[in-house]
Amino acid sequence: MMADSDMPASRGGIALSTGAIAALIALITGAICIALEPVAPWLVKFPDAWTLPAAEWIGAGLSWFLDLIKPAMRGISALLAYPMAWANTLFTGMPWPLLIGLVTAVGWFIGGFWMAALGFVGLGFVLSTGYWLEGMATLALVAVSVPLALLSGGLIGILANEFPRFKSAIQTVLDVMQTVPTFAYLTPLLFLFGFGPVVGLIASAIYAAPPMARNVILGLERVESDIKEAAIMSGGTRLQQLFLIEIPSAKTQIMVGVNQCLMAALSMVIIAAVIGGFKDIGWEVLLTMRKAYFGPSLMAGMVIVIFAMIIDRYSSKLASDRVRYSLRVAVAIAMTGVILSVATWRSLPDPSEIALLDPVSNWLDTGLTAFLKDNGAGLDGLKNGAMFYGLLPLKIGLDGAVLPFTWGFAWTKGMSVALYAVAAAVGLLLAMRGRATLGITLVILVGIVETGVAELPWPFVLVGAGAIGWVSGGRKLAIFAVVMLALILFSGLWERAMLSLYMSGASVLTCAVVGGAIGLLCAVSPLAWRFVLPICDMLQTIPLFVFLIPVLMFFQIGEFSAFLAICLYAIVPMIRYTRHGLINTPDEMIEAAVSSGATEWQTMVEVRAPYAAPTILLGLNQTILYAFAMLVIAALIGTTGLGQSIYGALAQADVGLGIASGAAMAILALVADRLVQGFAEERRQALGL
Amino acid sequence: MTTETADIQPAISCRNVWQVFGQGAKQKLADALASTGGDSDAAARILRDQGLIPAVQDATFDVHPGELFVIMGLSGSGKSTIVRCISQLLQATGGEILIEGENLVDASKARLIELRRRKLGMVFQHFGLFPHMTVTENVAFPLKMQGQNKADRTKRALEVIDLVGLKGREDSFPREMSGGQRQRVGIARSLAVNPDIWFLDEPFSALDPLIRRQLQDEFINIQATLQKSIVFITHDIAEALKIADRIAIMRDGKIVQIGTPTEIVLKPVDDYVAEFSKDVVKGRHAKVASVMRASTADDKTPDDPGLRQNMTLEAALAKCISLYDPVPVWGDDGKMIGVVDPAALAAALQAEEA
Repeated sequence: MMADSDMPASRGGIALSTGAIAALIALITGAICIALEPVAPWLVKFPDAWTLPAAEWIGAGLSWFLDLIKPAMRGISALLAYPMAWANTLFTGMPWPLLIGLVTAVGWFIGGFWMAALGFVGLGFVLSTGYWLEGMATLALVAVSVPLALLSGGLIGILANEFPRFKSAIQTVLDVMQTVPTFAYLTPLLFLFGFGPVVGLIASAIYAAPPMARNVILGLERVESDIKEAAIMSGGTRLQQLFLIEIPSAKTQIMVGVNQCLMAALSMVIIAAVIGGFKDIGWEVLLTMRKAYFGPSLMAGMVIVIFAMIIDRYSSKLASDRVRYSLRVAVAIAMTGVILSVATWRSLPDPSEIALLDPVSNWLDTGLTAFLKDNGAGLDGLKNGAMFYGLLPLKIGLDGAVLPFTWGFAWTKGMSVALYAVAAAVGLLLAMRGRATLGITLVILVGIVETGVAELPWPFVLVGAGAIGWVSGGRKLAIFAVVMLALILFSGLWERAMLSLYMSGASVLTCAVVGGAIGLLCAVSPLAWRFVLPICDMLQTIPLFVFLIPVLMFFQIGEFSAFLAICLYAIVPMIRYTRHGLINTPDEMIEAAVSSGATEWQTMVEVRAPYAAPTILLGLNQTILYAFAMLVIAALIGTTGLGQSIYGALAQADVGLGIASGAAMAILALVADRLVQGFAEERRQALGL
Repeated sequence: MTTETADIQPAISCRNVWQVFGQGAKQKLADALASTGGDSDAAARILRDQGLIPAVQDATFDVHPGELFVIMGLSGSGKSTIVRCISQLLQATGGEILIEGENLVDASKARLIELRRRKLGMVFQHFGLFPHMTVTENVAFPLKMQGQNKADRTKRALEVIDLVGLKGREDSFPREMSGGQRQRVGIARSLAVNPDIWFLDEPFSALDPLIRRQLQDEFINIQATLQKSIVFITHDIAEALKIADRIAIMRDGKIVQIGTPTEIVLKPVDDYVAEFSKDVVKGRHAKVASVMRASTADDKTPDDPGLRQNMTLEAALAKCISLYDPVPVWGDDGKMIGVVDPAALAAALQAEEA
């Protein structure tokens, strides 16, 4: 799989197909822009004078509106402070043997020994790191925000189901809510609710409600029509049908929503720590990371991972399995916790004083320092190599990145001409052999590498996106892509958006190639999948924030670290979908191929891969969305572009800039999403799926 | 087409029922009917040209009390749609649907709920069992909707569960049962409120052939004692012929013929209907009465193989295989009601071979 700009090639074939025409138009636009740059520099760099001060306008408009609702919101904030204080007292005040006992008991009841062990060992670890109180503070936030999210999400889902007229509108809003980067929520919320944990609470409730709503809608939609009709024919009123039949029938899907809601809330609560004001585990990670105390930071990160794992496994077990284990054993475990708590009431050590793992943390710290000292040169080499020969040329082009002190020579005009000439020759050769689209696309790609994504002429980007949209989804999609991107252009955020595009493009490209290869390997070898599956599960459970810790440890702050963090997070869907698509070819098709005498490899290339194409494209789509989500988080450790703007806006409480940048980010993600989905849809239809 | 008996009020009566899918269907149907002067075929054509889908077209028929009325057709012929119109799961686009004289099209929501709680029962092709309830809870659900207390409704549910032969599975969940057992639960649930009118939408189509036959037989036995007024949907001609009092055959939303099983087999109105019964061994379904004639003075009936009017042709032919003269046919009351020429018997059976 290649980046989306290469997609038209897969349609290939006859000279001047739609794909070839689209590619040709994009190529000509690009060529004209570059050729005319000396005469008309505005063709490449959009003049600032033409932009509209969108951020200021949004800021002014929103400030007015926010000021209007501020008193009401402050009221809500004051109101929410109560349950939060209660939850906080409950969680931090509860003797730890009691909580461990309860969690272990619940684990036993829903999942038997292994689930109980996960709860016991996990919380035991949390206790021994000395981060118990911070962890409990985080859990208290989650405990208040999740019911809010479940309730509002459930309500939205039910309303969408009851009033089909609004369903598509609601679904669009849910889409946007999940595409707008999490940090972008924080700025206006900060403005409304003031500093403090309530902002994190509300942000996490807002962020966690859409998955719940989505799953409720899906679950209710999927209730068999026979079941719905049976409820009607039994003489139930609408409310009886809904609450006695449809919702219970959709329970499995709704529980999936609860699971996703919990995970989203946890993730967001931790991200919200960047605004501070609350001594929770996210704040601890941030603090230790900033001080470069990697041992403690890793420990705090592990605490988050353990919470995530316990919450995830417990809630997904609830969703999937009906088997319940002995209640008696569970009660016995819980009682042990109670008795221990009462017995040691006075002598219970303060959980913050417990530092069983401090030696480990120290050892990690020194060990890591030693490792970095010994291998620093190698790591730097890796980093610089990737930067100089991969990321930088993509960002600012060969003409900017090829310098004597990195590449050993300087890029000259002559080299540009030679490169283009070679590309043109190869392209022409391909075109003459009937692969016109591929040929033109190749020339375009060479042009992009030569110029650099961040310095692409804006008309070329607009026309290119429109061309891809035209090929993947027809005129409507083309117009959508161009109009959306033009919005960014006129908002004055274009340069930052291109930087974001470069960063996400580089990560998505890497994820597509590496993830696709791993997916292929796992499809061929079940053994490999046995190793990869738990890693994928792990990577998908970890809250985004925690990804920053290991990359930071080894590669310090900078673009390369951000790039690695994004790749780590975004590669998972690519692996999963690729394998899933390749594995799930119908048996009959495989049997037909085998009985036609195809080798294993031929079956893979000729049958499995084409059949899997729509699924793999969906994986790519997910990877793109994941990359954009992580891009903003990665701004904490050094990306430029929109993510940085959003983060900066948060620090300065600049609502206009925060929202405008968030919207621009969402637009990039949405456009990429629609373009790739267009291709996936086209493939699905071509295969009659 | 219908064989009306005007003096008894029909249990169900459909009058010019239309079901049209699409935007603004009601108005467009009225316009189309007005512009064609009520010609339903022409109106349907106009609607199709407008991109609408006339799923049921001008259906008119009666179901008598205690009658088992089968609607048969291929998939997409509108048979499931029409039963949903009658049960008001779909609002008919045009026409009248009367249940014991009451027009359901005008009925309020509350009245419909009331009717469903007391009078109507329905069985679904894919069972429609509530996955989170046990067998007893499933069967008792309509009673719960009536507002019966738990003890009463459990008692009644156990009775019906016993009736469908599921004693011992009361506390099972649907997922723990086979297809045949699930449909027994569906039947039990639809009978729990002791409805007068019973809708069955392809109840046995999702089952494998052996179980299907077994359930058909049990269904016939249940109906023999309960005597409900039934609308039964199927795509299986053998099933229709086996159980029906009367059959309506649908094609592209239109009812093309209504008649007794014998009429459908022996006197199909067109090739479409004939095609259905092509594979049916006619001798097994047509009755002696269909080839009987009145006795005349010339008839000498030297032999009496003991033919009865409701004997199948196949059985009758076996009895008079070596006879040439007309033979008497005896009615249920033991009186001679007519004669049959053995040649006519053979001819009727031969006709199907051609």
